[in-house]
Amino acid sequence: MTARFAPFLLSLGLLAAPAVGQDAAVVAVPPLATPDQSARGQDSPAAIAWQASQLIASDLRTTAELVPVGPNQKDYYSYPEVTAPTFSRWRSQGAKFLLTGFVRANPDGRFTVGCYVYDVAKGRELGRIGFAVAAGDWRRAAHKCSGLAYTAATGAPAGVFDTRIAYVAESGTQADRVKRIAVMDSDGSNQSFVTVGDSIVLTPRLSPDAREVAYVSFVGGQPHIRIVDFDSDQQRPLVPTGGMTFAPRYSPDGQRILFSMQQGPNTDIYVVGAKGGLPQRLTAAPGIDTAPSFAPDASRIVFESDRSGAQQLYVMNADGTGQRRITFGGGWYGEPVWSPDGEWIAFTRRVPGAGMRVGVIKPDGSGEQLLTSGPADEAPDWAPSSRELLFQRAGPDGRPALYRVSLSGGAARRVATPQAGSDPDWSGVID
Amino acid sequence: MRRLVTFAVLALAAGSAAAQLPGLRKRQPVPPAPVLVGIDALRADFLAQTGSATVYFGGDASVLTPAARATLTAQAAWLRLHPEVAVRIEGHADPSDTRDHALAVGARRAEEVRNYLVLLGVPAAQLTTLSWGKEKVAVLGSAPEALALNRRAVTILVR
Repeated sequence: MTARFAPFLLSLGLLAAPAVGQDAAVVAVPPLATPDQSARGQDSPAAIAWQASQLIASDLRTTAELVPVGPNQKDYYSYPEVTAPTFSRWRSQGAKFLLTGFVRANPDGRFTVGCYVYDVAKGRELGRIGFAVAAGDWRRAAHKCSGLAYTAATGAPAGVFDTRIAYVAESGTQADRVKRIAVMDSDGSNQSFVTVGDSIVLTPRLSPDAREVAYVSFVGGQPHIRIVDFDSDQQRPLVPTGGMTFAPRYSPDGQRILFSMQQGPNTDIYVVGAKGGLPQRLTAAPGIDTAPSFAPDASRIVFESDRSGAQQLYVMNADGTGQRRITFGGGWYGEPVWSPDGEWIAFTRRVPGAGMRVGVIKPDGSGEQLLTSGPADEAPDWAPSSRELLFQRAGPDGRPALYRVSLSGGAARRVATPQAGSDPDWSGVID
Repeated sequence: MRRLVTFAVLALAAGSAAAQLPGLRKRQPVPPAPVLVGIDALRADFLAQTGSATVYFGGDASVLTPAARATLTAQAAWLRLHPEVAVRIEGHADPSDTRDHALAVGARRAEEVRNYLVLLGVPAAQLTTLSWGKEKVAVLGSAPEALALNRRAVTILVR
């Protein structure tokens, strides 16, 4: 049992290793305060405050922009100091930002978690956030506190740490893989399996609210898109067809799903309501049009097509008009994904002589950058902050694992999963 | 292929040896040896007569090579003689393809093989297609030779 989990622990160690950008800012994360330090025990405010502080530091450590310091026992501060910190104390530690907060037990058995972020040099509050949560939900509150600090430091949308990741968990031999759709919190906790492994499954795509997942299944023979609703545990095919459907992706509002359908030698892109309806065809060029992804305002769609010979990226209007090629480099480009902030399109590119690498390009085709070293990197998806990519990297033995890489540079870092992982999908911010 | 044929011969030999066992002599009359027409025998015969169930493709292509056409011509001849056999053509892409594109390419290769067999007189109703994308790797590794052996379509006798 110990041996079986050893790789997982090792991976966690790798994840925790800071990959610091040039201008990462130090954020002090002293332990959250409690009104009554004397209360002890597993579910006491003090115990939750300590664990929440550790989780916040752990969240911030995964970013390229912030270096958390703490929590350290020596840095305890009094309850009134939550809203009136002694800035000189943190300035002397070299901190640019300070996160304080508290955990308080309420009479109804719930806990109030509050957090404050300060600019240490200016001695000014940058933001605050608070929640009343059940004892079991303190992690979500802590993730929101992490998001508050990250937003204050970078301007990224709030709530980026309270998100989920879907991926394909792989076991068995390379020639006879068992694949299951798995879902976890973006910090690696709360792993669960959505499918049982009785048929091959591919490309899970979470709905924006992470209440559903669309994926490709070989159950019953022909590969086709299925939808699983996490609340009801119900599952159904996306469209009733005997043909092959694949490459699902939700619209930003979750109301529609883009996908590909194969008919004879031709594959085209369609859009259909997430709850059903008649699919509308968006492309008609001979060849393989697939991997569609909406812009965040849903006005345009990026996709890949081999209509010119090799796979290249194209952008079109949401109704299929105005199709325009945006990539012209050597090799080929595939599986594009539009960033949540609309600025970039991530892709996989086969670079002649250098294998498959992950990169980004502006929607107008300018500013291409390759972010990973290859040679077997693929399947990128955006972090909700639009500042990082999650992708799949196969080792020399062909076994894939999940990695993340920052847009601002630096080496890719392993994301811990209990089994080999592929086809990652990072949810948007969950309210 | 050779291994399958050898196995069939061994099975026949084992059958005749069993018929001469002392315990079996008491059974009267000795039933005639059954003719092997199960799906395994059909598959062995298909392989023996056609040379290969698999055709290979170059690069990103789904164009049939002359070698592939020769193999499919032999397959078509056998299939025309066995209209009762249901056939599934399974298309594959190599692992250096992206996931979605691999599914579409596998389908295109299977479709190409199906159309060629139909052109050669095999009833279309006898043939179905399926793409495995890059999910069923035949040869491991990222060397060009290994990748080439994965770009394939396989004619499977289903029943």
